[in-house]
Amino acid sequence: MSELENPFQETLLSRHRAEPCTVVIFGATGDLTHRKLIPAFYNIAAEGDLPPQFKVVGFARRDKTDEVFRAELETGNRQNSRQGHNDELWKSFSQSIHYHRSEFEDLEGYKALGRLLDQFDAERGAPANRLFYLAAAPEAFKPILEMIRAAGLNEGKGGKWARVVCEKPFGKDLASAQSLNSVVAATFAEKDTYRIDHYLGKETAQNIMVLRFANSIFEPNWNSRYIDHVQITCAENLGMEGGRGGYYDTAGALRDMVQNHLFQLLTLVAMEPPTDLSADSVRDEKVKVIRALRPLVGPEAVGKNVVRAQYTAGSVNGVARVGYRQEDRVNPESQTEPYVALRLMIDTWRWQGVPFYIRVGKQLPKKATEISVHFKRPPQVPFATAGMLKNSENTLVIRIQPDEGIALRILCKQPGQAMRMQQVKMDFRYSSSFGKASPEAYERLLLDAVAGDATLFARRDEVENAWKFIDEIEKAWHKSDTPPTMHEYPAGSWGPKAADDLLRADGREWRLL
Amino acid sequence: MPPVTLNDIELDRLGLETPISRIDRALKQLWEGDEAKTRASITNLAIYTEDSCQLMADNELLDHVAAQHACRALLILALPESQPPRARAWIQALCRPYQGKQVVCSEQISFVLEGGDATQVQNIVFANLDSDLPLVVWWQADLAKNFEEHFYSRIDTLIIDSSRWEDPARQFDVLLAALNSETGGFDVRDLAWTRSHFMRTALATCFQDATACHNLSKLQTIRITHRKGQRTAALLLAVWINQRLKGELKLELIEKETGPALQGLVLEGPGVRGEVRRECESCFVKVSSTCGEQTREELLPADVDTDAELVTELLSRFHGSTLYSSMLPYVRSMLK
Repeated sequence: MSELENPFQETLLSRHRAEPCTVVIFGATGDLTHRKLIPAFYNIAAEGDLPPQFKVVGFARRDKTDEVFRAELETGNRQNSRQGHNDELWKSFSQSIHYHRSEFEDLEGYKALGRLLDQFDAERGAPANRLFYLAAAPEAFKPILEMIRAAGLNEGKGGKWARVVCEKPFGKDLASAQSLNSVVAATFAEKDTYRIDHYLGKETAQNIMVLRFANSIFEPNWNSRYIDHVQITCAENLGMEGGRGGYYDTAGALRDMVQNHLFQLLTLVAMEPPTDLSADSVRDEKVKVIRALRPLVGPEAVGKNVVRAQYTAGSVNGVARVGYRQEDRVNPESQTEPYVALRLMIDTWRWQGVPFYIRVGKQLPKKATEISVHFKRPPQVPFATAGMLKNSENTLVIRIQPDEGIALRILCKQPGQAMRMQQVKMDFRYSSSFGKASPEAYERLLLDAVAGDATLFARRDEVENAWKFIDEIEKAWHKSDTPPTMHEYPAGSWGPKAADDLLRADGREWRLL
Repeated sequence: MPPVTLNDIELDRLGLETPISRIDRALKQLWEGDEAKTRASITNLAIYTEDSCQLMADNELLDHVAAQHACRALLILALPESQPPRARAWIQALCRPYQGKQVVCSEQISFVLEGGDATQVQNIVFANLDSDLPLVVWWQADLAKNFEEHFYSRIDTLIIDSSRWEDPARQFDVLLAALNSETGGFDVRDLAWTRSHFMRTALATCFQDATACHNLSKLQTIRITHRKGQRTAALLLAVWINQRLKGELKLELIEKETGPALQGLVLEGPGVRGEVRRECESCFVKVSSTCGEQTREELLPADVDTDAELVTELLSRFHGSTLYSSMLPYVRSMLK
């Protein structure tokens, strides 16, 4: 044991306890800070997992005092904390929260921030780690990072580290992502750069690797010999409420959801087993999957494999909804897709010939994110005709949200004299088996970031390769003379007919959620 | 106070009395009537007691635990001295609401075994397990009696509470012998040890920074304040501290009549001091550490203290650890 190791810590935790740390949140007056970040830190404190001598500094343009900032955050915490709000804990926790007013482009403001961080270190009696969290609008990332560097805050002091967490969207195409990555790389080393994708903090997303690699019944079957196809669905039953239309209309489903969240789920399902659980081993395998995606180049290939659509007026669960182009802050002539379905092929030995169908859309009948793995049928079923076997393949469903869990559909004999088969479902639900609520995705990810575990964060090559793939589709949609059709679907339906046809052409159907 | 007899206990609170031979059928009927109920189970949790007074407390405890850990719950009261021999059983569903519309339920089977010997207890447990799920047994009785190799060789996790033992030295001997036997591959969880978890976490926080770590070698004394009846919990904590420091600090135990099981811990030496203090009603502990001139304070969660909460908590922390069993010989020697 080295002289400086804390001997009491060693036997207590299955994960390494983070060292003293100051987190600086840029864009601290925004919604994310109030709804997610501070409640996540508060819940980490309630679990006793917060690093000792922890500090949060909110960095934003508006003028306010520490007290006012804390009072605003307290209101947000009361509304959003998973574990409720305890006045005694908040009183103690909120003392670690401070506010620093500055323009994002003002170097003096960053120098003053540096002096504040030094003051905290002096109070602690030793330098602490520093985590810079970019929760501001994406266009502010570049000036913030440049100023952090100019003020010398990107270097840890006294052997401590300085890291950056970048919120999504990480660029809007390959060029902007590369540009942003260059700015980040000029300020922080890749090992100190944490690109957050909150889907990876969800319990079931993390469970995909456990399910695949810790259960010997699945992994031998997890290949093109036994799997017919995979579907990944992310359905939302909302539209552009709360002024989201302004941002969303510049992004669309492909950029907003597929490039990041759904590709992350895809890679977890399709990756090879990592050699170990280190961040880079896992991420190496995920990048290989994205690089192996068969490119969709040109309007013809895109038209054959990708369906984009906008919703028209309809009703979701009995509530009337306007069409996409009539939504608040959406261009009435918008060519942005709130729905996209893709057929993807992964050119690896394991997945040769196995299509991965992905769909994501707004104003669908229900909110659900899930992965379904559809196994091939047995070569011959003596007691069934072909018609009886329609849509009856074994299906493993991994539900990401809501109601996280895993279900397996199998065929059983119906009771009775005749040999009739019936589909039955074996269903595991986290919430019914484990009464204890899972931590919020942000809690897990923030704790990982301060503890230095980058496994659940996207790496530069992962992000850039994903954009490279997505850019070709965007190009076919927006820069070709013969762009593929923008389809329509009524709000409250399961998407356009063209998306159904995409699977029907392969003799398959979307799973009914 | 006169001993509690079966006649004093409201046995109907255990659910529906069922002939032991018809338990399976009765459980099936329990679910047939209500389709809004979902049966869930991820473990078998058996509680074995020989204390009639404990039966209803355990019954309530299982209700609490099952709300967080869906399980097949077995509650067994054995009264080996009672005659004539008689075995009775009750079944009930332990339910909690789920997503507004449904309820999720665990099954509980309770047994009262008058004249029950080791073989009968084992047979009762083995005949009523939810197959393929791990078996967790909280053995509340004397380990020296019905706790036989045939039984513990099939247990995945044994829960004990060494602070309840009247003769802890003897009980630790039995436990060590079982753990060291060829078939003693079970994991052992001692509630007395779990009770100190928050103290250990808080202590780690005291000495987290480099300055504090530098001063660890100056520590000379451990002072632990505990409630009456929690001496073993305090001793386990002291053994752990000495093990971690690879030393033998002078130990002082202070016993209080009331309050939380563990109420205070002070580690002290020249120029260095770490203190963890738990107030009676607070669910937090105050942690303060002093190195030279500098003192800092923090507030940390105090963890749980009731048996129900402790069992719930340790069922959430299933990962094999040899730490506890490695400390047992040292605790045993301190008990002499």
